[in-house]
Amino acid sequence: MKEFLNINNLSVSVDEKNIINNLNLKINQGEIHAIMGPNGSGKSTLSNVLAGKDGYSITNGNISFCEENLLEFSPDERANKGIFLAFQYPVEIPGVTNINFIKTALESKREFNGLDPLKPGDFLKLIKEKAKVLGIPEDRLKRQLNVGFSGGEKKRNEALQLMMLNPSLAILDETDSGLDVDAFKIVADAVNSTRSKENSMLIITHYQRLLERICPDFVHVFVNGSIIESGGPSLADEIEKNGYERFNNG
Amino acid sequence: MKDLTMANFLNSEKLDLSFDNLTLLSNERIEAYKNLKTIGIPSKRNERWKYTDLKNDIRNINFSLCETSIDIKNSSEKIEINEIDYFTNNKDNYLKPIKYLNDEGVIYLNLSYSNLFRVITIKETPKKPIFVTLETFGKGMTFPRFVFNILPNINVEIHFLIRGGDGFVNQLIEFNIDRNSTVNIFRVNESSSIHSETFMAYLKANSNLFLNNLSLPKNKSRFQAFNSFEEDFSSSSFKSVSIPFKGCKDDFLVYNNHLSSSCSSNVGMRSILNKGVECSFQALIDIENKIKNSKAEQDCKAILLDEKSSMNAKPEMKIFNNDVVCKHGTTIGSLNKDQIFYLNSRGLSKLKAEKILLQGIISEYISDTSPLFNFLPESYK
Ligand SMILES: Nc1ncnc2c1ncn2[C@@H]1O[C@H](COP(=O)(O)OP(=O)(O)OP(=O)(O)O)[C@@H](O)[C@H]1O
Ligand SMILES: [Mg+2]
Repeated sequence: MKEFLNINNLSVSVDEKNIINNLNLKINQGEIHAIMGPNGSGKSTLSNVLAGKDGYSITNGNISFCEENLLEFSPDERANKGIFLAFQYPVEIPGVTNINFIKTALESKREFNGLDPLKPGDFLKLIKEKAKVLGIPEDRLKRQLNVGFSGGEKKRNEALQLMMLNPSLAILDETDSGLDVDAFKIVADAVNSTRSKENSMLIITHYQRLLERICPDFVHVFVNGSIIESGGPSLADEIEKNGYERFNNG
Repeated sequence: MKDLTMANFLNSEKLDLSFDNLTLLSNERIEAYKNLKTIGIPSKRNERWKYTDLKNDIRNINFSLCETSIDIKNSSEKIEINEIDYFTNNKDNYLKPIKYLNDEGVIYLNLSYSNLFRVITIKETPKKPIFVTLETFGKGMTFPRFVFNILPNINVEIHFLIRGGDGFVNQLIEFNIDRNSTVNIFRVNESSSIHSETFMAYLKANSNLFLNNLSLPKNKSRFQAFNSFEEDFSSSSFKSVSIPFKGCKDDFLVYNNHLSSSCSSNVGMRSILNKGVECSFQALIDIENKIKNSKAEQDCKAILLDEKSSMNAKPEMKIFNNDVVCKHGTTIGSLNKDQIFYLNSRGLSKLKAEKILLQGIISEYISDTSPLFNFLPESYK
């Protein structure tokens, strides 16, 4: 099985404060990993570091992606190589329409991979199809990117980008938070439909009910910036029942 | 033609009427000049608008008129164009610009030396826009004066293009907008002269004046507008995008004088500052005690792309009653890092992400269907 992501003894700090401590995680092609952990444990920090946001200092360790040193690449290179981060808090970008943005993103990825842009008609067909699956009305595609979108609408829009860009490693940072009951099912099933032997996923969530629908291969418990226990979906059931107390106590 | 420097000319005791035939309208000019001498050319010291030192800027300009071409294209027979005769036949009109505003040096400067006149009277809604191009050549100076008389119930679009030169342009444009008429202006400033332009607008009931401005100065440029709402339910909206060339300067000043009730005014600027440019935004709203139901908005957004550039913003409100809905906001800063990262994380390069964000800011005022769009620098389209 091809190795996608390999995080090796990673430590990260922000403003001299250690947030990730000696983290190890390996994700192979086709695998789905879930991370659960208390607020402030460093989950979003990890996803930002993987996506290449600056402002973090890597004080130890390394990360490889498809056997290349990930830390050498800029955020856009990482994206074009197949890493996608669905943001916990998607950013509003005024003046740019949602659909044009997604088109530009897709074109830039295709160009990077030596592919011609999709024909406008084909692109339109594709995005309408995916939007329909996610229950996104067409007029929202024409709105400015995330501007004035409700919390749930932003999350659905992240899922739309995920489906359009079809990344080899998708990192979902609480994509399920903020969705109503129906939207939750729609988005979870849509994410699940992108699952394939080719691609892998890292799902950050607080809710076992998501993992019930997506059924990950591995569940990791993330406390104080490192994984302190790994297991199968039953670990999520335990957290749902008993919380993090057992893990906090070491 | 005399060959004096601007400094000499400003220091002379009285208006030199032998200079290029200023004898026409000499009484009016002498009155204007007297005031010019008292008030002086705008400088940082004596001016209410604090960011322009026109006096200093024009110190070394040659006191000779430069070649100036004015081209007006219109397709309607119901548009009448007059020149200086409009004023010689009705001298009272000559000093109208100081009716509400008698302490502006730039206005008196034009009134003292106006050398070119175009008075455009619009009697019927034209099918097509009116195109006005002002081009100047060489190192001298020029003082064009335009008057637009817009009769009632008219809807007109006017496009201004200003370009060329290496001297000093002091331009005065008046809009007399009668009841129920709307004037929509698209203005492009590509001037390479020191450019100072004044709009004076007089709005009657239910009339509107809209300015969509794209300022791309290649020198020091100053635009100022004084809108007087003479009757109820009139409105103005002035929106400017400013992208000066390297090391250049752009000032945008709008004064809305709410003389009547139920009027609304809106002033906004979007500027992108790079390579040591300097911009200023000043908006002044005046609403007297007895005026009711006013609406006034001001907002300014400036993006600084380097540390050598600077932006001054000075929104000011003189409001003497409570019956007003007011909004104002100013943001000056660099591009938002989280926005750049979001775009990067979708595969867009840093350069592309910056371009998209800047385009986004410009598109608030200039959409891709605006007549101004084609004038935007390539990198912002
Ligand atoms: N730029 C920063 N400056 C200072 N502290 C930071 C910064 N970024 C993150 N932190 C801190 O690092 C810790 C981890 O934050 P992070 O957002 O990664 O948590 P999280 O596990 O995603 O939490 P949640 O479940 O609430 O989303 C928090 O204590 C946070 O305050
Ligand atoms: Mg988080």
